[in-house]
Amino acid sequence: MISRFTRRTFLKSTAVTAVSAGLPRFAAAQGNTIRIGFLAPLTGPVAAWGKPGLDGCMIWAERINAAGGIKLADGSYQVEFVSYDNEYDPAKARTGATKLIREDGASFIMMLGGDTWPGVQPVADRTGMLFSTLLPSDLSPDTTTLIAPAEVHPIYNVTGVEWLAENRPELQTAVICAQDDALGLPSIATYLAAFEAAGIEMQDDPLLFDPATTDFAPVVTRLISKSPDIVCLDTCYSDYVHPICEQLFQQGYKGQIISCTADFYDQIIAKTSREFMEGFVFQFPDFDDPALNADHINFVDPNGFYAEYNKRHPGQWGAVSWEYASIMDLWKAAAEKAGSADPDAVAAAMKEGGKGEHAFGTADWWGTELFGIDNALVGDWPVVAIEDGKATIKEFRSIPAWYAKHGDLLIKHMTAYDQMWNQRG
Amino acid sequence: MLDLLAQTSLNAVYAASYISLIAVGLVLIFGVMGVINFAHGELFMLGAYAVVALYADMQLPFLMAVAAGLLFVGLLGLVMERTLFRPLKDNPLGGLVASIGLLMILQALAVLGFGVRMEHVPPVTQEVIAFSDKVRLPLARLYVIVAAVLLLTGLWYFLKRTRFGWALRASAQDPEAAALQGISITQTARIAMFIGAALAGVAGALTAPLVSVNPHMGHSVIVTAFIVIIVGGVGSLEGAVIASVVYAFVHTFVTTLYDGVIADIVGLSLMLLVLIVRPTGLFGSADRA
Repeated sequence: MISRFTRRTFLKSTAVTAVSAGLPRFAAAQGNTIRIGFLAPLTGPVAAWGKPGLDGCMIWAERINAAGGIKLADGSYQVEFVSYDNEYDPAKARTGATKLIREDGASFIMMLGGDTWPGVQPVADRTGMLFSTLLPSDLSPDTTTLIAPAEVHPIYNVTGVEWLAENRPELQTAVICAQDDALGLPSIATYLAAFEAAGIEMQDDPLLFDPATTDFAPVVTRLISKSPDIVCLDTCYSDYVHPICEQLFQQGYKGQIISCTADFYDQIIAKTSREFMEGFVFQFPDFDDPALNADHINFVDPNGFYAEYNKRHPGQWGAVSWEYASIMDLWKAAAEKAGSADPDAVAAAMKEGGKGEHAFGTADWWGTELFGIDNALVGDWPVVAIEDGKATIKEFRSIPAWYAKHGDLLIKHMTAYDQMWNQRG
Repeated sequence: MLDLLAQTSLNAVYAASYISLIAVGLVLIFGVMGVINFAHGELFMLGAYAVVALYADMQLPFLMAVAAGLLFVGLLGLVMERTLFRPLKDNPLGGLVASIGLLMILQALAVLGFGVRMEHVPPVTQEVIAFSDKVRLPLARLYVIVAAVLLLTGLWYFLKRTRFGWALRASAQDPEAAALQGISITQTARIAMFIGAALAGVAGALTAPLVSVNPHMGHSVIVTAFIVIIVGGVGSLEGAVIASVVYAFVHTFVTTLYDGVIADIVGLSLMLLVLIVRPTGLFGSADRA
């Protein structure tokens, strides 16, 4: 075979590459449009924590654009989301980050994080791009351009346990199960700390299962073998929460269930019963909840957002449907404050004064002890329980207040599971 | 403790039932056609989606949806035999690569047709047979066990007592000798592909209300099926059934007594042990391996 790749071709392509590499890294505004990268799993088992977020962002963008867009020092800009499906794969996430920065000119990139962040971190280090994650366990002193402004997963799970202990003091024993991955393990450490702080005894070591598990009957048999008062489902994906709940129902469990999420809980009710799911505690509200109309809530028109979301995507509301949009609220406010979409300027404006307007109220930039860097926005978080078949916010509880009392327990268990920032590989 | 052992045994019997349906189909296809069908897990997935479409969405009776799933996936097997495996019958590696390509296509089609999120399949029944407070067998699981026993018994009868079955076994043992005896290798390949695919489809259809139905659900079952057929002996139907039972009991008991991650390690170690001690598998012969 005769190669067509001549010396001249090589020189041409090299020159083009060199010139393009020398172009400004951040095409902050292309025309009058600001592009935001959405780098999350849109397909695959973890898609439930990516795709609903993108759907929410589309509604957010339409609302912002209709209201005049983002107002920077040199004029107003429309906002446009550019998505890349990383399939929760670090290598694909890295490719996606590079594409979103170099080809699409993204000014800010939102991620789910977790297993995909290590793939992206070299790109972040090299380009200085501002990224967000939903999983602050990605944070470390080295991740200076990574922020966790929406949720402090899994730390907010302490609020559910604390509420349960206060409101149902008769519950004295618990068991926990989780998939063995970057989401499951820090959450186990958090729940263990919360149960210990609440004086609830763990009956057994946490039961880990392979993320490829499809039949949960053996897991549930083991979990309820000692008749625990509480079964904790940790941060299991919805693909696991549903069959585990169904098995708990079928194997006759009648105690309390607590979980980080309960996405599509109406389907769990359909597979079990309304009575079985009554009192199920988790951490993510439906946004038609009247409690979200309180003055301290910063998310704009949560009830209207929820109604629009359900109109477009019936039955698909989940834990992350609002979260990426709430990050955009913070980013927009910071960009308008800075008058620029430049990542450094936005990050500085966002963290100015050490406080930020989180969806659930004013919160602190926090995290040095746990993450080695104050890049997590932490404040109040709702405790949600299913009542009469509907998710209902029972109370907003302060994560920093819990941490002030029991932070040593959290550090102890995080350390035991190698989840402190200086232990993660 | 007795309750725990009894419940775990019931869980293991259920697991053995659906695993054996999948593994036997995979072995049948390999035995007759010499093709390692990596898309077998996706046939399982399509059977589950048949139930999603017909039972959950169109609200047809569950058994009708299962029968349609069996037929649909079986017919898809015929299409695979004609368009992929027959043209590549002299190229086993080509068949393997084609099946990997098909796996991705079927997953993508499922995503396009149904979306990425798991599908909700209403329970067929919430009835439970309670042997005691802590030993319970949901009726939906019993259906899977009974169906697996009936289907595998039917397959055994077909292979041992009918002329088509003899032809199939003869083709699997020695295709050239079978052809010299007037047996159509093409015809037996078609039958094997239909039955093998249909068994995977019916396993997916029967278990759809009990698992998370999503486009990627075939991945874990194909890994389990490969472990099982290696332990049982590649090409041995009896081996596949017995290895399914052994694997299901080992995996289920280790999950219950230790945890699921250790159970996976033990399952793989079991396969390695068999490969070291008896490389042809428990019931395999050197010719088939």
